[in-house]
Amino acid sequence: MDIIVCLKQVVDPELPQTEFAIEPATGRQVREGRPLVISTYDENALEVALQLKDRGGGKVTVLTLGPQAVISDAFRLALAMGADEMVVVDDPRGPDRLGGEKAAILAAAIRRIGRFDLVLTGCESADWTERVVAPVLAEALSAACVTFVSRVEAADGTLMVRRMADEGFHRVEVRLPAVLSVASDESNRPRLPKLKDILAAKRKPVHVWPVADMPAAPGDLAAGVEVREVVIPQRTTRCEFLEGESAEQAAALAQRLRDLKLL
Amino acid sequence: MPGICVVATVPDAAAIPSSLELVGGARALDASHGAGVSAVLMGTGPGLREATDELHRHGVATVYRCAHPLLTSGQVDAFLLATEQVLRAATPQVVLIRADTVGRELAPRLAVRLGAALVTECVELAAENGAIVARRQTYGGRALATLVVTRRPAVLSVKPHSLEVPEPAPVPGRVEDVAVSIDADTLPARVCEVLREEAEVGLDDAQVVVSGGRGVGGPEGFALLKELAAVLGGAVGASRPPADEGWVPISWQIGQTGKTVRPALYIAVAISGATQHVAGMSGSRTIVAINRDPNAPIFSVAHLGIVGDYRAIVPPLVARIKELKGP
Amino acid sequence: MAPTREVFWNIPRLGVVIMYLLAFAAVAVCGYGVYQHYRTWRRGKPASRLTPVGPRLRAVVVHVLAHGRLLADRVAGIYHAALFWGFVFLFAGTLVVFVHQDLGLRIMQGPFYLYFQSAALDLMGLAAAVGVAAALVVRYGLGSPRLRRGILSDALVLWLFEGILVTGFLVEGLRIAGTRDPWGPWSPVGYGISGLIDAAAISEATIRLGHAGLWWLHFLLAMVFIAYIPFSKLFHLVLAPANVYLQPLVNPAAPGRIDFDKAERFGAAALGDLTWKDLFDLDVCTECGRCTAVCPATATGKPLSPMHVILDLREEMKRTGTGAAPGRVLAGDVIAPEALWACTTCMACMEACPVFIEHVPKIVEMRRHLVMEVAQMPDTMEDALRSLEARTHPFRGAGISRAAWAEGLAVKKLPRGDRAEWLLWVGCAAALHERNHATLRALVRVLDAAGMDVAILGDEETCTGDPARQMGNEYLFQTFARQNIETLDRYGVRKIVTLCPHCYNTFRHAYPELGGHYEVWHHTQVLARLVDEGRLALTGSAAATITFHDPCYLGRHNGEYDAPRHILQALPGARTREMAQSRQKSFCCGAGGGLYWMEDRTGQRINHVRTDHAVATGAEIVATACPFCTLMLEDGVKARGTSIRPMDVAELLERSLRGEHH
Repeated sequence: MDIIVCLKQVVDPELPQTEFAIEPATGRQVREGRPLVISTYDENALEVALQLKDRGGGKVTVLTLGPQAVISDAFRLALAMGADEMVVVDDPRGPDRLGGEKAAILAAAIRRIGRFDLVLTGCESADWTERVVAPVLAEALSAACVTFVSRVEAADGTLMVRRMADEGFHRVEVRLPAVLSVASDESNRPRLPKLKDILAAKRKPVHVWPVADMPAAPGDLAAGVEVREVVIPQRTTRCEFLEGESAEQAAALAQRLRDLKLL
Repeated sequence: MPGICVVATVPDAAAIPSSLELVGGARALDASHGAGVSAVLMGTGPGLREATDELHRHGVATVYRCAHPLLTSGQVDAFLLATEQVLRAATPQVVLIRADTVGRELAPRLAVRLGAALVTECVELAAENGAIVARRQTYGGRALATLVVTRRPAVLSVKPHSLEVPEPAPVPGRVEDVAVSIDADTLPARVCEVLREEAEVGLDDAQVVVSGGRGVGGPEGFALLKELAAVLGGAVGASRPPADEGWVPISWQIGQTGKTVRPALYIAVAISGATQHVAGMSGSRTIVAINRDPNAPIFSVAHLGIVGDYRAIVPPLVARIKELKGP
Repeated sequence: MAPTREVFWNIPRLGVVIMYLLAFAAVAVCGYGVYQHYRTWRRGKPASRLTPVGPRLRAVVVHVLAHGRLLADRVAGIYHAALFWGFVFLFAGTLVVFVHQDLGLRIMQGPFYLYFQSAALDLMGLAAAVGVAAALVVRYGLGSPRLRRGILSDALVLWLFEGILVTGFLVEGLRIAGTRDPWGPWSPVGYGISGLIDAAAISEATIRLGHAGLWWLHFLLAMVFIAYIPFSKLFHLVLAPANVYLQPLVNPAAPGRIDFDKAERFGAAALGDLTWKDLFDLDVCTECGRCTAVCPATATGKPLSPMHVILDLREEMKRTGTGAAPGRVLAGDVIAPEALWACTTCMACMEACPVFIEHVPKIVEMRRHLVMEVAQMPDTMEDALRSLEARTHPFRGAGISRAAWAEGLAVKKLPRGDRAEWLLWVGCAAALHERNHATLRALVRVLDAAGMDVAILGDEETCTGDPARQMGNEYLFQTFARQNIETLDRYGVRKIVTLCPHCYNTFRHAYPELGGHYEVWHHTQVLARLVDEGRLALTGSAAATITFHDPCYLGRHNGEYDAPRHILQALPGARTREMAQSRQKSFCCGAGGGLYWMEDRTGQRINHVRTDHAVATGAEIVATACPFCTLMLEDGVKARGTSIRPMDVAELLERSLRGEHH
């Protein structure tokens, strides 16, 4: 099976709140000086791809969009884990684009890669959490689509997948070609690369394609959508204590949770 | 011609009030559009009629009703075909979709098919000079983004429970039954089985985490926490000591050597707030701490604090939350 | 007539011939056995351990002749010394007979015969017999927790030795009685026995018969002993002194460096991936159990016993011989990975081993195989390594600023263009953990008060790579090391003071191999020197009872036990108390070997147990000199709910400097 895995580079989402900053003028997240990592679920998607390859053979290509200068080194990890090739769509604006726009560029890149049976993405990115790339790619590539997939089994020209759902799980039979977005599961904890694979990864092919070479695809969902501002909600640094008897405290807390739309 | 259309599904009764949240949003937008609210109602069985009435009662003028046995749990491809068919004919300006299991997949695909603009997972919607201003959370809830949608048509998905169910505002409703032909064999993805688990919400994905520390005192205390998590639709976690003591599974541990979580709501019960624990939860949007010790470091990261014994606080809290959430 | 004795009294010529034939056979069997072992050792990779001769010989004097480490266990040390020296004397006596009889150099006569060959040998033989008896009593009578019972070979060896000694005395007594030896009283034990024989009025024929029988028994036992040497723990007679000589003189904890440009295998998958010295080690072990008795992992119920690591490897070596039988994978088939991951690399085992077996480097070599070849390790350790790669430090969820602690302090920063004589290497465990910020601030204030010219690297500092190294990812370690060396050299850094003993150890021992040569001091060493030179006005009373916890990487790894104690003693009013396990015998805090990043779930937590040790002294403060120890003890104190306060030596010093009272 030929599999393409889309990986996104994000600012380490595990940094403490104090290190999280937004440039007020542009609404961009401050990336400078912060470690960049592969977005959480994307590594799970890669692991699913590698497991499918381990079982049934084929080829795994990783695809990413972003400024090539900062991307290629960090993403050697994906090659070390077992991906065969890497395609970087060099796009200095990459981190600032909305999901729909990114998906259109990725779809163009996938068409240029050519053959594929399966495209995998993380179920959501650690930054904008739009959850749109997989469904949009599926439409753009005329492929089947299932999101929030926690397990995948190949079965005779189709896939049997397990989708996380509000009411539990769905077992879904999917035809190929398909685009799946992958959620974390104990079965897809990203593997630790072996040293020989880390060393071998240095010789694996990395293709860098300028974003300008990607033919503008129709269906850019982000056109006509503009980010006005991104703000960090003002946080009262001091804890607000709820006073009274236990029952009063409990009632006050419940009310506050409701006011905060947390119920 | 209706300007705003909500997409409502009736796989089960619980979906009706949540579809009504969308109606609330649609009415708010419609007030400035003056174009009326419509709905695509899809499903199977007698629930459809009841749902139609509910929609009319809440101000939906036109209900496009699709009944088909395949319009059921999780059959996104079927819902997509039906919605696409209705909306190509109805051509609304704005489509609102609930970002649940089906909606989060349906909305982007529909947007592509309709050539629409797309914003997902909105938590607030407002009209402003003919544009729609949508708010959504970003960076795991650490920031709030405001987006302005000027293009039409537009598909907006709305995070469940973020909009209020509106007061009834009955209108003389119209129903248009739309016949959809869906062939099970042509669906690229087909749900074979629904595993209904009273889902132990996974810590990784939970939007609410109720977490206990050494002060919980033992496994019995965690049963209480589980109850609280259940009414909030969340998961239970722990700091290191309860995991060490074997009161809870190791997989529940949150902190530097355990899991990192960033839910919308984190309730720390009887947790002192050691750095090792805080490292795993400080990204949570709202942090509530319940602790007997007013000087516990957890209060320095918490937004809301209660000084007291959790045993006296959690039971009335569970009861009160149940009341507020209604039947 | 000069005093002497007939060597082969009562033994016919034919008997002597048979004796020589049998002796030759015994030596041949022994030689064959040694050769077999030699062939198995040769399976190992090269290691150079023969020079320098001086310090190695000195070690042999201290630890073999003077029984240095053996005497760490008083009782066992003394009885071992008795049987050791008894054996040496008797062996020398046998050589004297050989020279006298076979080489024809008549040395066994005159005063030498009386003083040495008779009196000294008799008394030393008695000492040996008493020593062996004591060993039997301790092992089988009283029962020692570290000594195993029920192993045939252990009993056989002791009884064989005792048998040779007792038959030797009986033969001597019969000879004295039978020959009416005028010099008999010079052999007090034999003379005493002859007195008993005289008293019993045994006929001369019976004496001759008894003498002949016992003589042959004595001789045969001796031959069995010789032949048995390479096939039993008796082998340590030869190997132990050799192993003391071959010991690692510097940086004993670290396995060999890997040259990644040339290496094809990383770490030890099979026996052949260890060095010949590692394989030699396996045969040296006498199963005394001292290593396991001091191991913090064993003590807290973890699945690791250092002795069994050695024994299981030895079993594998025996099974595969010279490599004809297919070898099994060491980490997994021979040693459970859980055992390997339970090691804190604290060096307690190696410090306790009387024959200088190197447990820790073998464990790390096997970890290297697990991490670099198999890519299997505990999840939480894996997360730490991933973090190291992504964030340049192993602490997930920590901030990015490595200089946040220095806010408000005028600390020079090299990247800002400042220059200084010293670089303060902060270390991740201090820079990124709030608890240790107080230590850093205290240290900087003290250095400043003493007028030391110090700068930091700020955000250009990264991990030294040490956690990766201890966990077995030598590749990642070298990547960090090279990058750090490049940074340090770019700023022309020559003198480094580190807060963390792990960084200190790494700079001191690991970086030079990769081309990074610096003068490295641990902060307690610098502070001790400042105290000595009177550059600190310690005015504040530190009236408190303090116990000091020795960090493994400062103490056992680098031999620094005195500097921190020296500082504590200089604190006005401070009273110090030692824990039962301190200095060389210190008990790990549980964080070493990368185990800070492993969830310690089996049995008790090491840091909790160590906290109990500190509490048991009755001290109010447990002083440390390592940011990891501080964190582990803080955690232990919280868990145990006690009031003892972990504080770094630098913090205590700074309080006294500020004149602050505790």
